[in-house]
Amino acid sequence: MFFSKIWFFLVALAAAVAVAVALLMPRPAARAHVDNEKQRLVVACTVIDILLGDDARNRVDLASAFASKLEIVTALEAASGAASIDEARMKQVRSTGTAVMEEMKGKRKPDFAVLIDRRGRVVARVALDENDFGDVAAGRPLVDDALAGYLRDDLWAHNGTLYLVTAAPVVKRDTQAYAGAIILGHQVTNALAQRLVKSLDVDVGFYLGKDEVAGSKTLAVEATPLVDAIKRIGGGEINQDCLANKPIPITAGKDSYTALVARLPGEVSTRQAYYSVFIKRPAALGFAGTLDAVEQADLAPGSFPWILVGAGFVVMLGVGIAMMFVESDRPLRRLTAEAVRLAKGETERLSEDAHPGKFGSIARSVNIHIDKLGREAKSAKKDMDQLLGPSPEGSLGTIDLLATALPAVRPGGSAPASSPPPSEFKFTNPATQPGLAAPPPRPTPSPRPGTPPPVAPARQAAPPRTPPLGLPTPPPSFASAAPAPSALNLDDDILGGAGDAPELAEEAAGGDYFAQVFEQFVTMKKSCGESTSGLTIEKFTEKLIRNRDDLMAKTGCRDVKFTVYVKDGKAALKATPVKDD
Amino acid sequence: MSLPLRVCVVVFGSLVAAGQVQAGPVSGKLDLPKELPPREPAATKGFLDRVENPLANPRPVAVTPHMVVVLEQAEGAQKGSAPGQVLWELVGESFSRPVMIAAIGSEVVIKNVSKTARTLVALEDDKLVPSGPINPTGPKSFRVAEAKVYTIADKDAAHLRGTLVTVTSPYVATVDDAGRFELADVPEGSYKLRIFYKTGWLDGTTDVVVAAKGKTEVNPKVPALTAPQKK
Repeated sequence: MFFSKIWFFLVALAAAVAVAVALLMPRPAARAHVDNEKQRLVVACTVIDILLGDDARNRVDLASAFASKLEIVTALEAASGAASIDEARMKQVRSTGTAVMEEMKGKRKPDFAVLIDRRGRVVARVALDENDFGDVAAGRPLVDDALAGYLRDDLWAHNGTLYLVTAAPVVKRDTQAYAGAIILGHQVTNALAQRLVKSLDVDVGFYLGKDEVAGSKTLAVEATPLVDAIKRIGGGEINQDCLANKPIPITAGKDSYTALVARLPGEVSTRQAYYSVFIKRPAALGFAGTLDAVEQADLAPGSFPWILVGAGFVVMLGVGIAMMFVESDRPLRRLTAEAVRLAKGETERLSEDAHPGKFGSIARSVNIHIDKLGREAKSAKKDMDQLLGPSPEGSLGTIDLLATALPAVRPGGSAPASSPPPSEFKFTNPATQPGLAAPPPRPTPSPRPGTPPPVAPARQAAPPRTPPLGLPTPPPSFASAAPAPSALNLDDDILGGAGDAPELAEEAAGGDYFAQVFEQFVTMKKSCGESTSGLTIEKFTEKLIRNRDDLMAKTGCRDVKFTVYVKDGKAALKATPVKDD
Repeated sequence: MSLPLRVCVVVFGSLVAAGQVQAGPVSGKLDLPKELPPREPAATKGFLDRVENPLANPRPVAVTPHMVVVLEQAEGAQKGSAPGQVLWELVGESFSRPVMIAAIGSEVVIKNVSKTARTLVALEDDKLVPSGPINPTGPKSFRVAEAKVYTIADKDAAHLRGTLVTVTSPYVATVDDAGRFELADVPEGSYKLRIFYKTGWLDGTTDVVVAAKGKTEVNPKVPALTAPQKK
């Protein structure tokens, strides 16, 4: 699993790096995008300024052409000589001016014209305030310059409308005398704004303070930030505003824009006239924004290395699966197969060296447990042997009681010199014993004590209903139906006659059993030449009952049978557990 | 009679209304320098710089509309008639004269003869001109109390500006396009003639002795106008 872990670490590291890159990559791109947008704004602003300058040049040419018309020269020459301008003269000059304006179809036709005599008086107005005349227009810088012989342009505001105005002196060619000046005005309109930004992919708006005069698009722009930006500009060259100013964020309804403001030159500059170039602010180019910006063409096989990505995926997946197979699946399968063999008994242990890594550890752990179980089994057997004495394989053995306290008694004869009977005892499987049926299940161990072998308990009186000395009452069915426990088989070996088992069970239920054992024990002691003084049946019975209960508690046996025999020339007493089966 | 001359007559008529015994007119013509100052840069500029027309040379800079003269007595307190009234017309996008002169205590009447209402204010003293617009054909008058140079302007029209020069002497006059001027009923005595141009007094004065009888002619020489003027 080591290499699998390394591989998963590498895959996770690669994935983390990929995610980090995916989250980080849009940021420089977003910054670059914003910078590009700002730069595009600056370029657009500068281009608009240039276009307006070109437009001014064209308008000056137009004004020069207008002023050079002979009828205009003649009309203003005549008006300059008049002491005052009357209505008739005004109408005559206005008619002339209207006719000249009509000739400008196809060019950029002005929205109004003002014809001024040499003294600076307005002789006539065409297309705007046509009935006003006679007032002095001199004093305005544009008019003063035109009357002085200069061509130039300016921007005027009139009734909330912004005009691009140009002026040209009217000169009588033959005498080179000045006859007056003409002013042409072109309104700043939405059409003009749209024409300015036609190829720029931006929007532009013209403003007088907070009032939008015209724009390429109808935008409900909040003008306060624009005015504030204009106020922050302060001095400096107006034609440098596009380069010097910084784009500002503005909102128009729910849309966000980046705007760059630039002051408009001329007379209107004192009235906070400016134009603003807008670009809709791009959405944040985060990870999701980048995904949104992905186009179908970006995913085309020709533009995206699908093969490389797919190959990388297959390689990573293949290596991962291979490592899983080598380091996990195959050893696990091997261990599973061996565990099955262990379960079938085809092998006693798992081969630890055949399994690598953790699987070897599992095999070792299993083997350790197997070894532990074996040791515990041996230990249990040893304990039982220690408890019951040596016995043949499968026997529970006997226990020596009162060996030192009681005289060895062996009913019917002297004490044998041989080893005590338990070594000779053999348990017999009741199921295999002919003539014996399996005992019925008993919920509780029988409190009935065993029967001494020399005495046929069946020939004794029936056991009392209540056991003496506190012994529990055996179940009523026991005497008649209960099969002989294994202890009976033991007795069979000693006393012979397996058919005595029912009688033994019945007689053992009473206190006579202990009396019989007592009598055998006393007889055995006497036969061994031991003293029986101080030995009373009450103490003897109490001792046996206590030892019986202890043995039943320790071994879980159903009953205990006591046997009197001779040990080392003395009477002894052995307790033999009686199992259920 | 041209407009400036009419203004001159009005000014003199008002200033010498009280008249004095044994007084005579003082007239003359300013001896302008041959080299006139260059045209000032345009007060405003569009997208383009102004360019000369290809048909004729630009007209020379008109300096005399920006000039006024005053006769000040050489010694002692100024003697003279009671202050009169000075009429200064607002003719449209400009005043009838860009520079006007008035004696202390005289009443200056600005009359709007244009078709546009104006709201004028003296930049140096916003209480000099009564507040409120001057409607077409309507006047606005006030009296000057100290010798000073005021700039009267309309805040809504940056180009509309006039200079009002107030002096202690009652003998003041404007100058016509040719540089001529005339002061009527000047009492006999010694005087110094000073010339104000645009924003300040020109260097140097011209001594003028007014005889008890007869017309006094003086042709003061105007220094180079390119030199900085002092106020």
